[in-house]
Amino acid sequence: MKQKADVLQGTLALMVLKTLDVLGPQHGYGIARRIEQISGDLLAVNQGTLYPVLLKLEQEGAIASEWGASENNRKARFYRLTREGRKQLQVETQDWQQTAAIIARFFEAKAGDLS
Amino acid sequence: MKSLRRFLLRLFNLVSRRTQDERLREEIEEHIALQTEENLRAGLSPSEARRQAMLKFGGVEVMKQDYRAQRGLPFIENLLGDLRNAGRTIRRMPGLAAVIIVSLAIGIGANTTIFSWIQMILFQPLPGVSGASNFLLVELRTETGGYPGASWPEYRALQTQVPALRDIVASQMVPFNVGEKGQTERTFGQLVSGNYFSALGLKPAIGRFIRPEEAERPGTEPVIVISYDYWQTRFGGAPRAVGQKLRVNDRDLIVIGVAPKEFQGTMLPLKFELWVPATLTPALLGGARDLEDRSARGFSLIGMLRPGATLAEAQAELSTAMRQLARDYPAASAGIGGEILAFWEAPRGPQRMLISGLAVLQGVMLLLLLAVCGNTANLMLARGSTRQREMAVRVALGAGRWRIVSLVLSENMLLALLGASLGAAIAVWGTTALRVAPMIGAFPILFQTKVDGLTLAFAILLGAACGLIFSAAPAIHLARLDPQDGLRSSSNTPPRSRARKILIGVEVGLAMVVLIAAALFLQSFRSARQTDPRFGPEGVLLAAYDLSGRNPNEAAERQFAARLLDRLRSLPDVEAAAIATNVPLDLHGIPRRSFTVQGRVRTEPGQDRAISNTVTPGYFKVMRISLLEGTDFAEMGDRAAPAEAIVNEEFVRRYLNGADAIGRRIQTRAGSFAIIGVARNSVYDAFGEPAQPAIYFSYRDVPWDQGEIHLRTRSGNETALTSEARAVLRDLDPMLPLYDVRTFSQHIERNLYLRRIPARMFAVLGPLLLGLAAIGIYAVVSYAVARRTKEIGVRLTFGATSGRVVLQIIRENLGAITWGTAIGWLLALVISLHAFPNGPLSLSVFVGVPALLLSVAALACWIPARRASRIDPMAALRHE
Repeated sequence: MKQKADVLQGTLALMVLKTLDVLGPQHGYGIARRIEQISGDLLAVNQGTLYPVLLKLEQEGAIASEWGASENNRKARFYRLTREGRKQLQVETQDWQQTAAIIARFFEAKAGDLS
Repeated sequence: MKSLRRFLLRLFNLVSRRTQDERLREEIEEHIALQTEENLRAGLSPSEARRQAMLKFGGVEVMKQDYRAQRGLPFIENLLGDLRNAGRTIRRMPGLAAVIIVSLAIGIGANTTIFSWIQMILFQPLPGVSGASNFLLVELRTETGGYPGASWPEYRALQTQVPALRDIVASQMVPFNVGEKGQTERTFGQLVSGNYFSALGLKPAIGRFIRPEEAERPGTEPVIVISYDYWQTRFGGAPRAVGQKLRVNDRDLIVIGVAPKEFQGTMLPLKFELWVPATLTPALLGGARDLEDRSARGFSLIGMLRPGATLAEAQAELSTAMRQLARDYPAASAGIGGEILAFWEAPRGPQRMLISGLAVLQGVMLLLLLAVCGNTANLMLARGSTRQREMAVRVALGAGRWRIVSLVLSENMLLALLGASLGAAIAVWGTTALRVAPMIGAFPILFQTKVDGLTLAFAILLGAACGLIFSAAPAIHLARLDPQDGLRSSSNTPPRSRARKILIGVEVGLAMVVLIAAALFLQSFRSARQTDPRFGPEGVLLAAYDLSGRNPNEAAERQFAARLLDRLRSLPDVEAAAIATNVPLDLHGIPRRSFTVQGRVRTEPGQDRAISNTVTPGYFKVMRISLLEGTDFAEMGDRAAPAEAIVNEEFVRRYLNGADAIGRRIQTRAGSFAIIGVARNSVYDAFGEPAQPAIYFSYRDVPWDQGEIHLRTRSGNETALTSEARAVLRDLDPMLPLYDVRTFSQHIERNLYLRRIPARMFAVLGPLLLGLAAIGIYAVVSYAVARRTKEIGVRLTFGATSGRVVLQIIRENLGAITWGTAIGWLLALVISLHAFPNGPLSLSVFVGVPALLLSVAALACWIPARRASRIDPMAALRHE
């Protein structure tokens, strides 16, 4: 149970980083929308769970935040990727692709391939 | 790095929690507002739009909790919570908390005070010298295990032949007579090698220090360095003191500089005022040949390891150098080796005395603190058990074992640290109180102890250790608690009494050891006041003179003493006068001399030894020691009489089996002496000592260059003689000061001083410990009884008398107490036999103290037991 949440949080963090990388500075709602759009309903996450992840990333120095005005002139907190975050994103993207490739090969493997 | 940064941020967030909460709230609001707008655009009604937004966001509270856990450090937050809770708990039990805190504070305070002294010896053996702990003692060692010190020629050889040691410095303690004719004052100084100040790395307060070339050849520049205190008191701290002349041992020396404020010389705890190049020795000490004489071993050597060199290298080089010296100068150096030792390993001198005394004291005090911990553990255990229900509720509500342990631990740690802080305050007071120790004996002593960071750390460490010790039992007990049991009626569960009983036993045993030690100390101290010294100290004035600065020969010494005695005896108020080399009941003890006596054949290996004192005729009259047989010594001027000795009764009993002593011969290294008299036994080293054999020699036969003048007054007011005695000495030799003038009673008081400190300490600690033990036993028994109220009620209902109930409760508890007492008693007995192998075993202490302890313990059991037995059986049965 707990482990599942950890995995989710890890992937969520990666999604946040990628979103900020693609879209540039965004507020929390924007990030949530983007993740939702891309993943469709596959990832039915409570939007609120995003904020602890944002906090953790900020504490790690991967993202930074400051107050700014949203598109309809409301006060909002904008998050942006730091240099460190970009590096982290690269590393994690690679890791993820590697893992995904390994898992994919595993699932493709047939009994015959293993003998 | 990343995790460290995160940790620091989280730590910071602990403080700025409020603004952080505000930020999160705003962000959430913003998020939901944006989502609501979006929903409105999608065509939902305003209320539905907001509702959907909220749903999508999810559980705000859950998220907030998650967020907070991310943000701060839950561990520390819990700890702070625990501490707040502990503070509340302690406030709810002010009496118990006060007992615990005060008893801990006294234990920790006493330990810290003693530690500050030990720490001084370990880390600041040379006050005023930075990095003093890097210095090592270089001690010469004879084949028989003696440490004689080094001669100047040996020092010069070692200086070059032990390259592993940088800058070996030499110093020798010398009493100087300072001042103009007729008003000289005895002041202690050190004769030092030329590199003394530079090697110690000292900076002069003003002026300069002795240059190496000034201590190169005899007869070099007559210079002197004075201490800061001396500068302040004698020169008023004026800068022009530098360059002025100071008359020392009848020679003019030029003050070239002032030592830094804290520096007191290199022989802790003695305080020196003057430093003179060693090469001035012949000039200052009447032509003394110390600089050439290889057997005049008066110098102490210290040195620092050269960077990169090891102790083993230095030791090896020293041994080689000493072997070479033994080959080159077999007459003086044969069989003499060398050792390199740390300051705290000092094999001789005042340092040695100090260290051994402190080690014993610290041991006793740690034992005491352990007993206090035992007592506190007991109290906490008893209290902890009454909190079973509270803890059970906590466990039932989901608190983990570690949370319970940390709760108990934080309570106890808070108590322990409060005790430690109070203890540190006591230590600050204690070190300053003990620092103002007066001059002990004839030597000026200064302890520059202070409570510094290390000492404080020691106090806190002790406090934390105590906290851990007395937390362990209650914490384990409560953490193991089954919530179901705890929540059920408590009187059903049988009390877990084993741990408590063991604790009581241990505590009582420790109390036993400390109480017996206290009683023995007090007893020896009181006996000092009450025992008859078997001589008459009342009405006697003591004063010392010292001719060593003159380097006189025997004839001059004998003649001086004779003239001095004649003049003193002619004073109208003097009933009798005498000179002796030693005064009984001196702090330093009276030396023992080996001898052989005609008519005794020693069967076991080794040598016979007896107390030896060299006195002038008239000594026994002044001291009121009666001569049982024979006569007093021949007059000082008598050249015809043979060398004489007088022995005491114990000497005759022990070495001559009571046979007639008169006329027998005693042989010592100084020559052969005929016994001409037998004196009554008297006290020599300490009140209450067993009778010791003693030999008195005559000043006429064995003159000395120093002596203690004994004057018995006619009028009964011995202090009135002081000025007359001074005048007499000034008349005889205007450069010679009369020093250490005191009445015999003052002399005795002063030498009891060192004993008085531990005696006072024990006088306070003994009763305190007894009180603590009583409180501990009382608390535990009343707790145990309270838990058995129902059982007692049943017993009473079935016809048990209250007397029987009381007896049973006392019997149950007294078992462990008796065991503890017995073990403690045995331990104390072993220690006492080990510490004083020849001393008499004090029956009153070894019977009285256990009796007292057991009756106090029985009383502490009886009170709660009696209260329990008085209970109305019906009330007891209804009790929970």
